[in-house]
Formats: sequence, structure tokens, C-alpha cells
Amino acid sequence: MSVDREKQYMTQTETDIAFLLADATDEVEIGIAPVQAVMRGGRRRRARRWAMAAATAMVVLGGSAGATLAFAGLPGEHRAQEVAKPAPPEARHVYEPQRTEVSRGTYQGKEWHVSVQVWGAPRDENEADRQFDAMAELGVMPAEVRKPADLIGKMSFFATRGWGEEHAQQVMFNTVRKPESYAGTDLEAIATRFSSDPASSGRLVIGIVARTAQEVTCHWKDGRTSVAHPADGFSAHDDGNAIRTVDGFPTANWFVCVAPQGTVYQSAEVTK
Amino acid sequence: MGERDNARNEEFQSFMIGRWPRLMRTAFLLTGEQHAAEDLVQTTLEQVFVAWRKVGSADDPEAYVRRVMINAHARRHRRKLKEFLAPRDDSGLVREVPDTGDRIAQADDRSALLKALAQLPPRQREAVVLRYWEDLTETQAAEAMGCSVGTVKSNAAKGIAKLRAIPGLADMVAQGGRN
Repeated sequence: MSVDREKQYMTQTETDIAFLLADATDEVEIGIAPVQAVMRGGRRRRARRWAMAAATAMVVLGGSAGATLAFAGLPGEHRAQEVAKPAPPEARHVYEPQRTEVSRGTYQGKEWHVSVQVWGAPRDENEADRQFDAMAELGVMPAEVRKPADLIGKMSFFATRGWGEEHAQQVMFNTVRKPESYAGTDLEAIATRFSSDPASSGRLVIGIVARTAQEVTCHWKDGRTSVAHPADGFSAHDDGNAIRTVDGFPTANWFVCVAPQGTVYQSAEVTK
Repeated sequence: MGERDNARNEEFQSFMIGRWPRLMRTAFLLTGEQHAAEDLVQTTLEQVFVAWRKVGSADDPEAYVRRVMINAHARRHRRKLKEFLAPRDDSGLVREVPDTGDRIAQADDRSALLKALAQLPPRQREAVVLRYWEDLTETQAAEAMGCSVGTVKSNAAKGIAKLRAIPGLADMVAQGGRN
């Protein structure tokens, strides 16, 4: 049915209500479209979605490895059943996350650090309850989870940053069920201070790139750049810019760029 | 960020700036409240931004945006709105359907219409807003709501029947919706 034809059937009451609805919308204050806020929010959503890839892959790998370990000494005649046997929650990092330090350094005489923790997916309410409590003890709060049962079947990850004595704060995180692919020059990043403390004006960029990424270049507003390369371990000569593999996050690497003094983030890209 | 990303971002920005007023009005009718409307539109556009590579090149990005907004509304605002706006009787249960008692008899301005609209069950409210404010066909409204044309017809008809019970509706129309 065409629009015109449908409109022919609009009764007087419907027409009146259509008029009133249009009039009523004048009550709302339209304001200026918050473009930057929406794009920032969208990028956070995208980061969380991309993290899904790591989530499911980790669960699958963890489950297989756990089953193999559990039955390593048994005859191989029941292999189908063996593979189906679930790994214990401890082996899946349900109650204790895998933690990886991605970067660290010193700012205004105090040490800062960026870490990523990855929690395995609880499989039932009991596991979810315990994980919920364990997360609370570590001071992290999963995304869009209102009750422990919301965690069932989902992995969680948290990138945290801390400065000095303050408790590390989560800055990029998600709780997800299904993974998405992350490849090529895909990059998702957030710009943040070293701390929520107003005394900290130092800037960090924390983000995720494909495992194939060999170089990330962060551009600052004053025209300078910082370049992060894949790194193993830490040394006294580290400048804080690094790309690292995170335990429990098999489909992407994480990176950190540190801004020079007196400037702020402009953009980041995979350059090799 | 590459040049392609920059171009896509600029495209999204201009889309968002162009659609913002209309989306705010629609969200306001759906939610009945300024801040809830802003929240709904922002949530919707964040999701649109995430999928912009696909949405921006689609034949009808508007349809995608409507669908996202209706889903977001159903998911996030349904319960909150009822709690916020619907009156409670002595049993403490939320009543979805307005009666024609004294409360509605005071319907003599925009807020009365908004209140009556907000008291509709969410699917009826969505159907009424999409059909009579967005001016969508039943087919388009069905796509946005993820239901059949028959469901849209039924929900819109029930919604209209309840709204027409607002005393003084005819006067409101005659006066341009205001006293």
C-alpha cells in the first residue's frame, strides 16, 4: 500500500492527533547535536565489540586445554566425551583474571602503569556469583551488568590505569559473548590522563590493534608524535610507548602511547 | 586514523547534525521527558556510528536509525518511563491504561497529551508515534518495530482509541494544541 493510499484512511481523530503530536514536540529543547560525545561513545562501543573476538577465542581455547589436562592420563577411547568435559572455573580464570602489564613509567615522581585483566566466562549462576564478588573485590565493574547472572556465558576485560598510590581505575572494558574480527589497520583507542586526580595532566592513549600491527603512531595536537612498537618485557630505557600481547586476549594486541608534556591527543593509527 | 576514516566521520557528523532535531522530537514523544529523549537519541546515534560504514552506504539509513531507536527505547526506557509517569493505585501496581477520570479530564494542554501518550503501553506508543508523528506507512512502522503490519495496525488503533478519550481533544486541536 502506498503512503498516499494509507493516508486516505486517516480519520479525523487520527489527523487531530497527528497535529497534536507535532505541536507537542515543540516542548522539547533541541539543543546542539553532541557530535563529539556521540562519536566517543560509539568508539567505546566499538572497542567493546572488537574485544568480543578475544573473548570467545579465549573461552574456546581455555575449554579445550582444560579438558586435555583433565584427561591426560586416561585411555583415549572416550575422546568425544573428554573434549566435552568442561574445564574447572579456576582454569578458565573465572575467579581470578589473567593480568598483563602493558606499560609503565614515571610522571611527576610517581609511577604510573597500564594493565589489562581478562576474566573467563562463568557457566552458571554459582560461578557468576563468585566472579561478581571477585570483581568487586578488585574494584572493577563489568559493563552493562546489573546482576551476577548477566555475566553467564560472557568474558570480561578491563584495561586499567593507575598513578602513584591511588587505586587503578578501569578505562576501557567490556563484558561480551561473541567475538568480532580485528585485523589489518583496525585500531580502537581512548585518550586519558594518568589519573582522575586533577594534578595529573599527563596524557596516555590506550588501545587495541591487530596482532599483526608492528607500529602504532600517535599524533598529538602540537604536531609531535609518539611511536609504539611490539615489546617483550620491560627495561629502564622504556619510554612507555609499547605494543604488547595480553594474556587471555588472543585475537588482538594492546598498545599504549605517552604524550609529551603540554599537548593532547589528536589521533592514532597503525603505521606498519 | 586514516583518510577514509576521517571522511566517514565527517559524513556521520553531517548526518547526525541534520537528523538531530527530528530524532529529538521523536524521542521526546517516545519517552515523554527531555533528558530521557537526549539519552535515547545519543544511544541510538552511538550505535549508528559504530555501524556507519554499513549504514552510511545503505539505501535507507533512516530506516536503520528508526529501528535502532525503537529497539533502544523498548530495551531501556519502557520500564523506567512507566515508573516515572504512570499513576499508581492503592495496590501499588502500575496501570498502563488511562481511564477517563478527573486526571485525564484536566487534559487541556500539551502536557496532557504527552502524559496520555506516555501512559500507553510501549508498543502502542511506538506505533502511534511512528504512524502519526513520523508519518510512516504501516509497512515502514512494522519494519521499525520489528513486527507485522497487523501488529502495527492493532497497536496504533488501540493507542488512538485511548488518546481520543482525552476530554477536550477537539478543543485542543481547534486551539492548536494549547490553551
